[in-house]
Amino acid sequence: MATERTAEVTWSGDLMSGNGRIDSVTSGAFGGLDVDWHARSEAVESKTSPEELIAAAHAACFSMALSHGLAQAGHPADELKTSATVTFQPGEGITKIALQVTGKVPGTSDDEFRQAAETAKENCPVSKALSGVPEIGLDARLQS
Amino acid sequence: MPRIQRQASVTWEGNVARGSGAITAATGAFSALPYSLASRVEKPDGKTSPEELLAAAHAACYAMSLAGELAGAGTPVEELEVQATVTLDQVEDGSHRIVASELLARARVEEVDAETLDRLAASASEGCPFSKLIEASGTVTVNATLEGEPDGD
Repeated sequence: MATERTAEVTWSGDLMSGNGRIDSVTSGAFGGLDVDWHARSEAVESKTSPEELIAAAHAACFSMALSHGLAQAGHPADELKTSATVTFQPGEGITKIALQVTGKVPGTSDDEFRQAAETAKENCPVSKALSGVPEIGLDARLQS
Repeated sequence: MPRIQRQASVTWEGNVARGSGAITAATGAFSALPYSLASRVEKPDGKTSPEELLAAAHAACYAMSLAGELAGAGTPVEELEVQATVTLDQVEDGSHRIVASELLARARVEEVDAETLDRLAASASEGCPFSKLIEASGTVTVNATLEGEPDGD
């Protein structure tokens, strides 16, 4: 069954000096988030940006895929901590995404964990949608 | 121009069917947003999902790109409303895939006719790096209308 999720944005003015707002999303989980070019391409100023939302989408998708893979291999995770760092080059686009994951997974080895993380990186739907990004890095470690 | 980095982090607990996660943005713009498999592929129940975040990213990216195109044509937009709808579907092999992102734009802008807006709306999608990326996995469609006109076909 297909699932649809919608987001709505309002923008006023031109690109450089105008500003926008992510007004609402299907779930209602967040809304009223300001975005502008300055915050996207220079200072962070506590404002989100398309690249930060992509980082959030990718980290979330990867974590789910990894938890699925680990459980299927008979070693469900107690906890996974993932971060995604998106590198954006204005004029060029997203040039790199770095995924970093630390897992608390009873009964699995470092190698098995790294292999499962690699599979999750290849197969999660957001990774597939971002397969045009020149470099997607992965650093996977078990919590000692 | 300098390289920009943006980061988000996720904590996930448990397996995929019954576990859940929380998503936090490094800027602090949002934090600890809960999500789960059920909220992703069934009813959202107030929870976000990777596809919803992707829709927000695409709508925000496209709004900036179209604002840039309109300003570049000498007709900066007064107000632009953009909606992005991302569809996740199960494909033949049973895996899930992002199959579409549908962009709807509604612009309040002086001295632009529908034909010019269509042209700028199409080049805004070509200029938005996310449209290009998503096309690796699914289709991207754009439909732009001028405020005051009936909705496009």
